[in-house]
Amino acid sequence: MIRALALVLMSPAFCASQVPALDASGREIRPPVKVERVYAAGPPASLLVFAIAPDKLVGWTRAMRANEAPFFPDRYAQLPELGRLTGRGNTANVEVVLNAKADLIVDVGSTGASLASLAAQVQEQTKIPYALFDGRIEATASTLRSLGRLMGNEREAEVLARWYEKELVEAKERVSRATEHPLVYYGRGVSGLQTGGKGSITVEILDFLGARNAAAEARAGLAAVPIEQVLIWNPEVILTTDPNYWASVWTDPRWRSVKAVAAKRVYLSPNLPFGWFDFPPGANRLLGIWWAGKLLYPQTFDFDLRAKVAEFHRLFYHREPSAARLDALLGEPGVLAR
Amino acid sequence: MSSRTLSYVLAGGALVGLTVLAFAVGRYPISLSEMTSLLLGQPVGANVETVVLQVRGPRVLAALVVGASLAAAGTAYQGMFRNPLVSPDILGVSTGAALGAVLGIFLSLGVFFIQLLAFAGGLVAVGLVYFIGSRLRGHDPLLALVLTGVVIGTLLGSAIALLKYLADPYNQLPAITYWLLGSLAAITPRDLGVAAPLALLGLAPMLLLRWRMNLLALPDDEARALGVDTRKLRTLVVAAATLMTAAAVAVSGIIGWVGLLIPHAARLLVGPDFGRLLPLAMLLGAAFLLAVDTLCRTIATIEVPPGVLTALIGTPFFLWLFALARRSW
Amino acid sequence: MLSVESLAFGFPGRTIGRDVSFSLEAGEVMCVLGPNGGGKTTLFRTLLGLLVPHGGTIKLDSAPLETLSRPEIARRAGYVPQGHTGYFAFTVREFVLMGRTAHLGVFSIPGKRDREVSERALESLGIAHLADKPVTEISGGERQLALVARALAQEPKLLVLDEPTASLDFGNQVRVLQRISALAGAGMSILFSSHDPDHAFLCARRALLLAEGRVLEIGAPRAVIRPDTLERLYGVSVKVIDLGGGAHTCLPAVGR
Repeated sequence: MIRALALVLMSPAFCASQVPALDASGREIRPPVKVERVYAAGPPASLLVFAIAPDKLVGWTRAMRANEAPFFPDRYAQLPELGRLTGRGNTANVEVVLNAKADLIVDVGSTGASLASLAAQVQEQTKIPYALFDGRIEATASTLRSLGRLMGNEREAEVLARWYEKELVEAKERVSRATEHPLVYYGRGVSGLQTGGKGSITVEILDFLGARNAAAEARAGLAAVPIEQVLIWNPEVILTTDPNYWASVWTDPRWRSVKAVAAKRVYLSPNLPFGWFDFPPGANRLLGIWWAGKLLYPQTFDFDLRAKVAEFHRLFYHREPSAARLDALLGEPGVLAR
Repeated sequence: MSSRTLSYVLAGGALVGLTVLAFAVGRYPISLSEMTSLLLGQPVGANVETVVLQVRGPRVLAALVVGASLAAAGTAYQGMFRNPLVSPDILGVSTGAALGAVLGIFLSLGVFFIQLLAFAGGLVAVGLVYFIGSRLRGHDPLLALVLTGVVIGTLLGSAIALLKYLADPYNQLPAITYWLLGSLAAITPRDLGVAAPLALLGLAPMLLLRWRMNLLALPDDEARALGVDTRKLRTLVVAAATLMTAAAVAVSGIIGWVGLLIPHAARLLVGPDFGRLLPLAMLLGAAFLLAVDTLCRTIATIEVPPGVLTALIGTPFFLWLFALARRSW
Repeated sequence: MLSVESLAFGFPGRTIGRDVSFSLEAGEVMCVLGPNGGGKTTLFRTLLGLLVPHGGTIKLDSAPLETLSRPEIARRAGYVPQGHTGYFAFTVREFVLMGRTAHLGVFSIPGKRDREVSERALESLGIAHLADKPVTEISGGERQLALVARALAQEPKLLVLDEPTASLDFGNQVRVLQRISALAGAGMSILFSSHDPDHAFLCARRALLLAEGRVLEIGAPRAVIRPDTLERLYGVSVKVIDLGGGAHTCLPAVGR
């Protein structure tokens, strides 16, 4: 009897006693007093939860691949796969989520009405508080702080937030000093003919860097453009995330006359362990900001990229990459030079 | 001149006119003088040459080849199944090709391998359907094929759905979606160099057998009593039509309606004799897809998927033709 | 021309007739009589190689049927099925031309001679004036004649007609029977089935009575078509009247 009563009293429903907070979508969240296990519903969330308190992350949304694992401490690389919960590509089984016995579910990204209602639905089903946070680059610091507060790790979150803020301010300052703003085109997909217009999350980095996006007039989502259109825009720099496209652009007769190709300014974003430039759309994009900044504004982005990358990995992935691994990452053909 | 000959003349004329137009228009502005200079072999700006010879040229030719192939395959199938509502996908070639391509995208392969998988997927799917369908004894052979095609097509479709589900939603899923919508935007001269000969390879038997194929329109007993080995003929027709369709779909993705509407329209104009029908269907199919694709790449900054336009344009066009023609199909 | 011995026939897994034996000479007309579902069509299809026999032998023009290829069979025997709708809108000329397939190579298209043969077939049946009309737009009787013309275009030595007078008006029925007699007179062997015993009297040298897949009787019409055999076949009471001069006719007892 006493035991049953104790169990009831200990259940999450009874333990909500922190001051209820509002998440970024405006919903009231009542987390338990002690948050020990956090389920991150998507990769941007996984990244932040892991950065703040890696021991509290219950699992990854997709199991670590062999080439991603070496960037994390072994015990974290082997965390279980739990699937994604909301947003694009919902593969998690709610029962799996329940079985993971999380105290808190977190997602970082859009905070619009449809996702908020989905979150409310899952919260209703599982009785686990579900908090949404803003995933935009400029909101990363405040998201880190709110998340830290919710998880009970304010100190760790504050360190990360301060550092991230500083880096963003520094990047913006470097941009302001730049004198030349080349026309840049971001080509997605194996043909390089998918891109994002102004305001599209896919080119958020370009917008942040104040870059002249060749495809600015395309729709603010994902857009497929004909190659003729790219020839008209004639970008001076091309950034891409697809290695197949990058490899083929040098020999493809249709791309030959594009300025960027002629000047050999076509670059391939690294993508280990998380992509640097476009996806997943999380805090990892700071790496993309440095990378793209260096390529677009080499005069003012004249820092040691290696050192910065190493520091990011240390802070966010909790593992400083070896020199050899850094070489491999930055020396990959197309990252900084052909 | 008879209405039949008139149809050919008009179709041929439309094709030539559209081809000229297709070369002349596009998002990249090329003046008439630049075009003439290029044709005369005089030096022009680097971009002009790229646009006309590397971009528009292959794309226009691809539209012609794909349009003609789909129309030819549709004509063959409609005659073989004695049903004007049959499209080249009835035995699952498009679904099989889609599965191949989606698998290629899922495995992050390059363009060549995606196309190769699409081509192989289309052939394997039809092969499977044919193998199983022709072993279902005791049924009308055509019905057995159709039913097997539906079943296998559904199975392949669910495999595609599964792959879409498992694909990385940021990167692979949009690529898959775009492929499934079909597009001629990424055509390279190499694509054309591979697809066109394959399509011709499939066309050759159909042309050679064009008279005999008329007999497939008769009930099976009658055709056999007239001396035709219907099983062998059907196998050959299916193989030829599948080869053409798989080659087309591998480079262009899935573009619907062409294989269904064009043979129909052609039949309304010149009647069911395959020898007359096939050339006209191919002319009309090529012209139609060229018109659609030219629109797709010029009406907006972004690419419009051709499948959407083929349905929008094709349906009223077909209804108009149906009202105009006097003969029954 | 055609010789059948102890033939058993049916569908895969189901035998519906056995012990059928007969032979047909050049210029001979045989009429097969029997009730609906008695196996007439199945028998014909087996004789033409469209169904696999379940036993016995068939020899076409002295060659065993199983040794002949499709085109070889088609050059010897022409099939006139019960015509039905559902054809594509080929013209009558194109339709009849299809009969020349057995004489063409796999990749050939009809040539001058083929066209001449089809024209003659059309004329001999009196439907040359319909040559340019779509097959779907002529009457049932005209379509039946077109089917016969198509079979004739094959230049066969044996003609097999499955109920050629079904759904024809009286005039057309007579015309078809006249054609059959004329063709036989010119040396063609003819095997046809009919639902009307009088047709056997009118133009057949022999009649084969088929009941439940078995040969009831076979012989000259006036010998085998009797009230008792007709009762056996059709289950109705019929009188056979001798009209003199070798002509006979059936008179069913309808009663008032």
